[in-house]
Amino acid sequence: MDVPAIEAQGLCKSYKSFRRPRSVVLKDISLKIEPGEIFGLLGPNGSGKTTLISIFSTLIYPDRGRLKVLGLDSRKSRDAIRKVINISTAKPNFPWSLTVRENLRHYAMLYGMYGPELSRAVADVMDAFALEEYRDVTFEDLSTGLKQRLALAKAMLNRPKLLFLDEPTTGLDPEMANKTRQLVRSIHEDGISVVLSTHYMPEAEVLCDRIAFLRKGVVVALDTPQNLKGHLRLGERVVIVYEGPADLSRLKEDPGIMSVKSEPGRAEFVVDKSSESLDRIVKQFSKARIKDIAVKEPDLEDVFLELAR
Amino acid sequence: MSWRGELNKYLASAYKNWLIAKRNVFTLFELFFWPMISLLSIGLLTRFLQVGPDMVSFLLVGAIALTILQVAQIDVAYVLLFDMWSKSIKNTFIAPVESYHLVFGALVFGIVRGSFVFAILAVVSRYLFGFDFLAGGPLMVAIFLSGVFAVAAVIGMTVCISILTFGQKADVAAWSLSGLILLVSGIYYPVDVLPYALQVVAKAIPLTYFLEYYRSAYIPGSYNLALGATLAAAYLILGLILLQISIERARRTGILLRLSE
Ligand SMILES: Nc1ncnc2c1ncn2[C@@H]1O[C@H](COP(=O)(O)OP(=O)(O)OP(=O)(O)O)[C@@H](O)[C@H]1O
Ligand SMILES: [Mg+2]
Repeated sequence: MDVPAIEAQGLCKSYKSFRRPRSVVLKDISLKIEPGEIFGLLGPNGSGKTTLISIFSTLIYPDRGRLKVLGLDSRKSRDAIRKVINISTAKPNFPWSLTVRENLRHYAMLYGMYGPELSRAVADVMDAFALEEYRDVTFEDLSTGLKQRLALAKAMLNRPKLLFLDEPTTGLDPEMANKTRQLVRSIHEDGISVVLSTHYMPEAEVLCDRIAFLRKGVVVALDTPQNLKGHLRLGERVVIVYEGPADLSRLKEDPGIMSVKSEPGRAEFVVDKSSESLDRIVKQFSKARIKDIAVKEPDLEDVFLELAR
Repeated sequence: MSWRGELNKYLASAYKNWLIAKRNVFTLFELFFWPMISLLSIGLLTRFLQVGPDMVSFLLVGAIALTILQVAQIDVAYVLLFDMWSKSIKNTFIAPVESYHLVFGALVFGIVRGSFVFAILAVVSRYLFGFDFLAGGPLMVAIFLSGVFAVAAVIGMTVCISILTFGQKADVAAWSLSGLILLVSGIYYPVDVLPYALQVVAKAIPLTYFLEYYRSAYIPGSYNLALGATLAAAYLILGLILLQISIERARRTGILLRLSE
């Protein structure tokens, strides 16, 4: 089974509304997602991530272009595709007054499960996402983190081969976000292909095998996180504010340091990994008085500034 | 897929509607309060007007038909409305289900609720007004109720189609359809009292024929049940086709995503 999870060619999508003019949201998207891959869609608000995921998952249809999902033609085999994919939407929402277990049973029924198979599928996902304890809590009484977990559990009910996660960690506190990332990784270890969207760069970096940057409906870059950072010379940013003399010439030759910018009393370095080069940087300031050191992860701003050049 | 799996795709919507109804106190209003108000007000009106037993039966049959129609149609519309209100439409439409699974599943629960209301009203009207809703025998009641449920399904589908086509607020327009039916299909007066143009409309509404059929148990008169049944079947099929088209259209225009925002 080595068919690509997604093969998209020239996908275009525009929305029209009564009052406003037709707005073009996706322009000529072509990409291929390998089986078993975690593929990240990264982009700022309104760049078209949700639209693209919705098209990939056959929720909505493109205006133009060809799409194959798990080798199946998205026009001819919609029903077959829907059986083997699932989605966890951004801002998970389910019927409010149904409990965790009832919600899961309801969606399992929509997938045509019945009898012991249905009960087992529901029990399995409640177990996998630690929801057993909340099985009788209605959706409206769940915390945001639990709602997200229910959304993931629902998305695994039909044991999909391809899973879409639209901003799976948005709105979660750092700890819950981390737990969710672990869950996504464990889903992936079962061999399931995952397409996830995020506007949080470090998340894409730790989770994804490859990342596509979306900007205004166009894929402006597509590669592994390492290559992207390499090509774009994106790394962590170390900023040192100091007084006194410092010799920065040696650092300009350092292979771990991608760029050096300096002005009197302030130096800025872009480094591959701060943990490896920080020591060498700081040593050059031994004769100066360091007033402040800041280490900053590259964020989307940096990426887009870089891509816009 | 096995037949039980297929059956469960239908029953999923009935299950959801049942759970939501169970936890909502206003369900009691839908099942008891409004049906009772309608039965009592019409029943008392007949006393006030001192009409004969023929008129009493005519009006009470109209009242009960309208009440059951309203209970059942809302269940069919709920299949989309609940998803829209809870913003979970995407979760339904990502699943391998078709419009007919959703509509007929919800209708199953609508039939259960409608039959329940019928039973209550039958008992109450017997004691309060000495009127027997079962006079025509169980078969006649079953045929009459089937007609009412078919019309309810068509109205419920029309609500869904309007929402999918014109957006969230369009359900109001669709509800007025049951107002039109109240006006023209001979709920509280015979169709012949209508102006000619409206009589033509009445002839196109299947409920008209099912009312005439059911009333014939109390007041001898002619009826054309076959035409009513044919019309009902035609509207059901047309409704399903249009619903399917409007879902596909909502997927093309993106309204489907808008409905879950
Ligand atoms: N159903 C719709 N109808 C009309 N316009 C839409 C619809 N959905 C999205 N848009 C518009 O299309 C653009 C892209 O939206 P989309 O939701 O795909 O972006 P996104 O990358 O997911 O953004 P976010 O980070 O905010 O979730 C936005 O300008 C949005 O306003
Ligand atoms: Mg989005």
